[in-house]
Amino acid sequence: MKRILGMGLLSCSFILLAAVYGFGAGGPKTEPPPKAKTIKELAARYDSGKCMECHEEAHEQWSNSLHSRSILGSPRTAPTIVTAVDIGLKKFAYSGVKEDKDLKVEHLMLCAKCHLPQLDEATDDVAREIVATIRAWQKAQKDGDEAKTEKLQETIASLNIGCMVCHNKVALIHKYADGYPQPDTVYGSKDGDHEAEEQPKMAVAPAMSESILCGQCHGQGPNFEFDHPSQCATLYGSYLFSYVAHGGSESCQDCHMKKSELGHDIQAYKDEKMIAMAVDVDVEGRSLFWRKNKAEGVVPIGVIDVTMVNKTGHVIPDG
Amino acid sequence: MTAKTKDGKEVYKEQKTYMPFPGRMGRGKEMGRGPYEKSGLLRETSLAPGARVHETFEMSYPVEDVKKGDVTRRELAADELKVAVKLWYLPFGEFDGNEVAWFEKEKDLDLKTEWVWH
Repeated sequence: MKRILGMGLLSCSFILLAAVYGFGAGGPKTEPPPKAKTIKELAARYDSGKCMECHEEAHEQWSNSLHSRSILGSPRTAPTIVTAVDIGLKKFAYSGVKEDKDLKVEHLMLCAKCHLPQLDEATDDVAREIVATIRAWQKAQKDGDEAKTEKLQETIASLNIGCMVCHNKVALIHKYADGYPQPDTVYGSKDGDHEAEEQPKMAVAPAMSESILCGQCHGQGPNFEFDHPSQCATLYGSYLFSYVAHGGSESCQDCHMKKSELGHDIQAYKDEKMIAMAVDVDVEGRSLFWRKNKAEGVVPIGVIDVTMVNKTGHVIPDG
Repeated sequence: MTAKTKDGKEVYKEQKTYMPFPGRMGRGKEMGRGPYEKSGLLRETSLAPGARVHETFEMSYPVEDVKKGDVTRRELAADELKVAVKLWYLPFGEFDGNEVAWFEKEKDLDLKTEWVWH
């Protein structure tokens, strides 16, 4: 009986382990793809338009999100990249950047780690082309040349966090365990065939619905992997060390995709639904005669009490 | 937050800021703004997840000390205040066109009860 129980426990342990360590369907590390030599080439490689035919709704939702224009931004990101070059890189003694021509992919990765992770698949010429395009766009705006502004803006927006960034490039986080993303596979919640010429396979990314997927960019603070750590987001840090630490259990996707019903139109501070989900504010007011002290006598005052409750799983605002 | 008298005169204005204060290059006491210089946090006043933040604003009604004979009496110059509370989200720390109003509420306060100096 003891033995049977022992075996039973062993089997249970095995099943439990298999469930806990449900490895993903990545594969061996592949050769990096040939470096894209132009913005056009890089944009084409990650063009989400290819997915639109079958995933129309998701594509439409995504098109409205900032992910679809992650270099352009609100559009404040693109000018900030130029500021990072002019006020940051060019003024730092050891960056190796004195002029735009000195820029390399390595330098722009301070921003592109999150705003365009696929930039690591491009030549240094593309890094310089991006900065030149943003500068030309800024000049066209200043000159009031609307047609040129629009055209350049389209070029900048063609570089983005598209389908194949989250569903391939950054889909598998623990590569020693889950393997490396394979170029012929789209990663999500299902295994099987995928009706697409370039990616004929689907596979499960174990962390696709977990906060850690978003945490790769919506970060913890300084990005220490760089020679010069950059910092934008601290959201995931507050999620881990404040929200989860106080008993929170929902994921980024739970609120920003499911409860909001926005799906791939992942929104934040500008969206009415997200604002309503974020903070409760209560205002109470009253008046009274305050017998303050001998010097000031009676002071008639109004008192306003404001109570705010942050209902989210992260700090508001972050940065 | 602002308070105005019935005739539109602003008698009170106060604001509270909730934000991270990233350190410049992670050293010293200076705050950094750009992503190329922000490192860590010097201070954090953002609303923490799950936190309940309470703010109290006290504003004086406008008064006049009026002398009548030998006696000086304090009189209310206005016994009604219109208070406006607004919560703004400033993604870039400025009112630069990107700001979003998250919450707005107006509240009427009054002190119409008879005021007798005891």
